[in-house]
Amino acid sequence: MDLALQLLATGLVVGSLYALCAIGWGLIYGTTLHFHVAHGAVFALAAYYAYVAQTWLRLPLAAAVLVAIVASAASGLLIDLLLYQQLERRGAFRTSIFIASLGLLILLENVLAIVFTPDPMRMDIGALNTAVIIGPVFLTYLHILTVALALAGYGALMLFLKRSRWGQAIRAVSSAPEMARTVGIDLRRVHLLTYAVGSALAAPAGILVAMDVGAEPFRGTRFVLLASVGVIMGGIGSIPGAMLGGLFLGLLENLGIWKLPSEWQSAISFGVFLVFIVLRPRGFFGRTIHSAEI
Amino acid sequence: MLAYIAHYLVMVGIYTILATSLNLLVGYSGIFSLAHAAIYGIGAYASALAALQLGLGFWGGLLVAAVVGALAAALVAIPSLRVAGDYYIVASFGLQVVILTVFINWTSLTNGHAGLPGIPRPRVFGLVVDDPFKYVVLSLALAALTYLICRRLTASAFGRALRAVREDEIAAAATGKNVVAVKITITTISSALGALAGSLYAHYITYINPTSFSLDESIFITSLVILGGTERLAGPLVGSLILLAVPEALKFLAIPDTVAAPMRQILYGALLIVFMFVRPEGILGRARPRRAA
Amino acid sequence: MAAVGAPIMTVQGVSKAFGGIQAVEACTFEVAPRLITGLIGPNGAGKTTVFNLITGFLRADGGSIRFKGEELLGMAPHEVEARGVVRTFQHLRLWGKMTVLENVLLGCRTPLGESVVSLFLRPARVREEEATARRRALEVLEFFGLAGRAHELAEDLAYPEQKLLSMARIFATDAEVLLLDEPTSGLDTDSLQRIVPMVRRLVEHGKTVLLIEHNMELIAQLSDEVVFLHQGRVMARGRAEQITRDPALTEIYFGV
Repeated sequence: MDLALQLLATGLVVGSLYALCAIGWGLIYGTTLHFHVAHGAVFALAAYYAYVAQTWLRLPLAAAVLVAIVASAASGLLIDLLLYQQLERRGAFRTSIFIASLGLLILLENVLAIVFTPDPMRMDIGALNTAVIIGPVFLTYLHILTVALALAGYGALMLFLKRSRWGQAIRAVSSAPEMARTVGIDLRRVHLLTYAVGSALAAPAGILVAMDVGAEPFRGTRFVLLASVGVIMGGIGSIPGAMLGGLFLGLLENLGIWKLPSEWQSAISFGVFLVFIVLRPRGFFGRTIHSAEI
Repeated sequence: MLAYIAHYLVMVGIYTILATSLNLLVGYSGIFSLAHAAIYGIGAYASALAALQLGLGFWGGLLVAAVVGALAAALVAIPSLRVAGDYYIVASFGLQVVILTVFINWTSLTNGHAGLPGIPRPRVFGLVVDDPFKYVVLSLALAALTYLICRRLTASAFGRALRAVREDEIAAAATGKNVVAVKITITTISSALGALAGSLYAHYITYINPTSFSLDESIFITSLVILGGTERLAGPLVGSLILLAVPEALKFLAIPDTVAAPMRQILYGALLIVFMFVRPEGILGRARPRRAA
Repeated sequence: MAAVGAPIMTVQGVSKAFGGIQAVEACTFEVAPRLITGLIGPNGAGKTTVFNLITGFLRADGGSIRFKGEELLGMAPHEVEARGVVRTFQHLRLWGKMTVLENVLLGCRTPLGESVVSLFLRPARVREEEATARRRALEVLEFFGLAGRAHELAEDLAYPEQKLLSMARIFATDAEVLLLDEPTSGLDTDSLQRIVPMVRRLVEHGKTVLLIEHNMELIAQLSDEVVFLHQGRVMARGRAEQITRDPALTEIYFGV
């Protein structure tokens, strides 16, 4: 039972990281319909931005994190502006956007691997590493901060989408792009904004993982694909769904190894995903994406 | 040097099979798979195990490989393609992860990271194919066979339906095509053929382990398809000829391995991006019909 | 309610809501064989939704659509097509990157050539079937006056010809009932004179036509029977002349 509680807590922490990736990726996918795997590269970049800001520029940790988040948002925006929008202007199919996105992911990951080596680059996180022992559960302050930041990120995103004018524009584009266009919303600017916001949400996830176990070049791929699993399970177009989907996957992977050997951890989520889409292709809350709408 | 060239040609044959079969999906059907390396691995492990544990010959191994490869893909394709193409990107990645986990962790069957040594050389029509030169013939012959099968498929009413589904599946459904069945069929066939390459590889190298079948390998095969590209079936052959020569060229530049491996990946990534700019309508579109339909 | 013989298709109490909006409500009408039935109504009346419901692209909330006594609701689009009910789209949905001939060939029946098994096991029969389909496709193109364009890409045709091609594609399927979604929209007077008689000729070839029409002036020229839809409900059914002369309906239509 003690083990189960520890796994539950770890699951919640990991799930928070997945959730941060998932709400950002889901926002982007729901709005632009781009299968943006390069989100994984933004995740990795965020970690190295924070690392560089702290160790090379000697910024205090909080400032380094802030710089990294802003730089990540800018990176996401630039990916859309310089890659996807250029391709779309040339009449690219959706598959082409995906292939280019995959290409960029591989390219950036490997550039990072050459510049920083594939080994983890550890960050100095000071007191955040202090252990917190609650009964049988062992966590660090960083882990608790992770859960708190995921909830804060989710809350901020929902508020932004509901209350701000730009947030409403994103929602309009997400639910009916043609309609949004006819009422004078500039789709390209909304896409850019979506990329900035979505990337700013992936950044904390990348940075928090780097603070915990070090920045690594190749971790993003797995996170972004799990994010897409979370989004599909939660329901495409639903931010609460993506949040729950991410949390669910974190819990699933960790509670799964309560009964299963830990080597199989990485296979659990995808196994469940396959069963899930048979039973509930629309996810918990959302719509299915068909390749073409009538 | 001659043996070196022979080895290169054997690998060109194997990768031509992989790329030709993946092209059926990515090129002709607009379905994107990240699992082709896993399928390749399934073929390799299935026929290695068939040879080592059941004493099955080369042809038997090929058959087992194709069947197991097709089944694995169908298992994933049926639930996900029923819904939408994007789901298959995720599902195929899942398949890639799960299969690699199986190779590594089902040690009683696959021997884990240590891999399976001692896979016998193939015996074809009473002849043992034991040196690289004979293997070149076998490898290129199977590549040619794959090419012919793919040609038969794509230059038929079935191929026409594939392209119709790729371009507009709603119109295809309205015209009586069973869109889901078409997609699942082509995914299964593509995987059966991809698994053949695995079988060929296992019997050639005589030793397999999980590292040959990673996600990076899937991406490499995708680059072959994109580089050779288009609807031309000869594309994958050209792609393999070029991209397989690259790592050999890098060897001559004496770049340390820790840098050479990522450099290769950077090249593949850049290739994918650049070719999408050159052919934004995908590797699928052909500019004008070349001949009477 | 003049109808020739028993109806070939009956739509009975069909409803469909999207979220809170009732797109089609208790819609009931019949389609008489070998006649042209026009589905008319103002924008948003639910005409295309009715097409989507008949052809299996949307799931109805309730009701029944019977074709020759068989229930079509619940079937997938390709199953509806196989029964002999096939449609065009308002936005045509041609396969632009394929040739005109290929577009029509895709309508032709080629079950052997589409079966992977027979492709390899019965090559002779497949070849025979393909040759027959090709002949048939060329005949159809001839019928629609497109034979000279057979080897061009569909996207390279002029708009009126694309419209004809969208009709040719479904004509080639041998389906008995053809659903035409706005066959005349976006056409100039010259092209109209090419397409309107074409619809009539479909009926002469034994087809039953159900078409969506926007143009009140054209409807009498195009159809025998008219079903008038408004806000998802059938407001009136009858002979074309009768409906177009009804002042109450014209008022709804033009929103006066």
